[in-house]
Amino acid sequence: MLKYAVRRILQAIPVLIGISIVIYSILLIAPGGPEARFAQNPRITAEQIAAFRHRWGLDQPIPVQYCRWLGVCGDKPFLVNALPGGTIELAGVKIDLPGGDNGILHGDLGFSTTDGRPVAAIIADRLPATLILAGTAWVIWVILALISGVYAAVKRYSFFDSALTIFNYIGLAFPTFWLGIMLITIFAGGLHWFPAGGMWTTRTVPPFGTPDYWAFFGAQPLTALSDLGMHMILPVITLVAVSIAYDSRFVRSSMLDSLNQDYIRTARAKGVPERGVVFRHALRNALLPVITNLGLEIPFLFTGAFVTESIFGWPGMGAQFIQSTANFDYPVLMGLLSVTAVVTVFANLAADLTYAIVDPRVKFD
Amino acid sequence: MSDTESTPIVRELTPAELEAIQLERPDFEVQLQSLSQWQLAWRRFKRHRLAMVGAVLFLGMCAVAIVGPILLPYNFYVIPTPDKVVYAGRPPSLAHPFGETGGLQRDVLTLVVNGARLSLLIGVGASMVGATLGAIVGGVAGYFGGWVDNILMRIVDIMLSLPLLFVILVVSKFLGSGSWYLIMLIFAIFSWPGISRLVRSLFLSLRGEDYVDAAHAAGVGDARIIFRHILPNAMSPIIVAATLSVVSVIISEAFVSFLGFGVDVTQPTWGNVLSNSLNFISLGNWWWPLFPGLAIVVTVLGISFMGDGLRDALDPRAKE
Repeated sequence: MLKYAVRRILQAIPVLIGISIVIYSILLIAPGGPEARFAQNPRITAEQIAAFRHRWGLDQPIPVQYCRWLGVCGDKPFLVNALPGGTIELAGVKIDLPGGDNGILHGDLGFSTTDGRPVAAIIADRLPATLILAGTAWVIWVILALISGVYAAVKRYSFFDSALTIFNYIGLAFPTFWLGIMLITIFAGGLHWFPAGGMWTTRTVPPFGTPDYWAFFGAQPLTALSDLGMHMILPVITLVAVSIAYDSRFVRSSMLDSLNQDYIRTARAKGVPERGVVFRHALRNALLPVITNLGLEIPFLFTGAFVTESIFGWPGMGAQFIQSTANFDYPVLMGLLSVTAVVTVFANLAADLTYAIVDPRVKFD
Repeated sequence: MSDTESTPIVRELTPAELEAIQLERPDFEVQLQSLSQWQLAWRRFKRHRLAMVGAVLFLGMCAVAIVGPILLPYNFYVIPTPDKVVYAGRPPSLAHPFGETGGLQRDVLTLVVNGARLSLLIGVGASMVGATLGAIVGGVAGYFGGWVDNILMRIVDIMLSLPLLFVILVVSKFLGSGSWYLIMLIFAIFSWPGISRLVRSLFLSLRGEDYVDAAHAAGVGDARIIFRHILPNAMSPIIVAATLSVVSVIISEAFVSFLGFGVDVTQPTWGNVLSNSLNFISLGNWWWPLFPGLAIVVTVLGISFMGDGLRDALDPRAKE
């Protein structure tokens, strides 16, 4: 199995490199660039823009830039879309910039062209918010999907089963962002039950993730938690309502398959009580494909909440992505996309390996 | 689904038709005529009730898109002069059955009906272009095999592992410049890989058929074998996949426009109508986002039902 895992990772490498080349080319061939935001500023001269482009290495040919971004050009590569030397001098004071400029293959994602912060620090800032939102929603919809899917399969053709089928059909046709807008309009705009967006109440709670926030959290944990909860309810409902449709359908069909097996008839014939048949014999086998499916949903924790985040103004990876797209911030965009691509590849691998662990029938060649 | 065993593959001729044939061929006796594959599929489709509902919904929406803007009393490009200024807009009334938007107080019905044109055009157009590209790439890869297949399928692998929505956002931001046909092309470019994989697998199994060998033996060229001999036999799954891809294009187009990266905001699409409503979201005017969203849901449901029906109708072997 270790051999299989290693082979899968080796196979993933060319695909990952291909992905990065495609994304890099798309980004850099496109007109505009990080300097586009200076174009309308009369105080910034053409020389300054040229200096800016040179500083970030944007005046180099695209293959050279890509090579620098990877960090494979020479032992001390040109600066990878990074500030020269990693040190700047402001009013006589030398400031060391954190992070590195060695390229992604050396573990350095470079610096943002918008504010000069290391890309890794930006991602580390944004990731917790995304994980909190998507993780909570994921746990809720997995539990609900399991319960509703199993119940619908056991009571096949019942009222609940057909109601769930109709709900799933409609759920799959619902655009996530529209559901979010409607929830905000009704429950935040009309009824004022919940806040319309954001992650914390400005003025009463410090911004999430700052030391102030954790100090506040330590002093008044209940207020902090309830504030976070109030801001999470609408986005979590949006995520759960849309995602549950697919998963509960999956659980239902897997459970039905399992209930039709011969060993279920055998168990019933032996006189195993119905509860034992359903939970001990059918469910345990039905869970095998479900586990794989859940593994495939892991990348969602990083990216899937993107739509919901952008509607609810949730300060996660999705919001950062949209902001960086608007600023043509290539290093941050490449960083976000690379992290997502790597997570996707490893989640697929993890799903396959888990399947082999829980199902002894599966063999790798 | 329907019992395909009892589906007659022939139909009875009407007396008039029988007479017409007998005039031509006096020895004609059988009162039956065999049905073509497409006639059979249409018969099965008609029996699929949900599919018919879906087709009616979808075609109805297309009809609205084509004639709706002509029939409506309000012109999309004329800014209305309301009798009373209400900043948040007004809820549905007789004059404005879908209500009025906030700000300029535009008629929501007019926006939704005009939006149907571009939204449907982009959805259907992108899927058709994507399916054509996918059929060509998949067909070539599956027919020739070997290194051609290998290279094309690695490209497909890469396309399929791209975080799709991200890439579409970036591309439409940098290349889109808001014109609808560029947005349509972008969606077409990103919808072919899935279909090409499907077509490839169909071609892999079909190229071993006897009639392909026969065509080879008769000296038929590769292009003709691909497009005239194999492709028609692979058509059904391609049609189903293309139909269902309309759904995802319509939803993602709406989302991309909603984020402001799609079709230019002065053009009506459902996504743009929703996008504009976001600025007034805290005023509680539910009618503004409700109706364009409902239009999307109705269209998407219609197409999904139709796709399910087509799958059953075009492939009689596939059963639930």
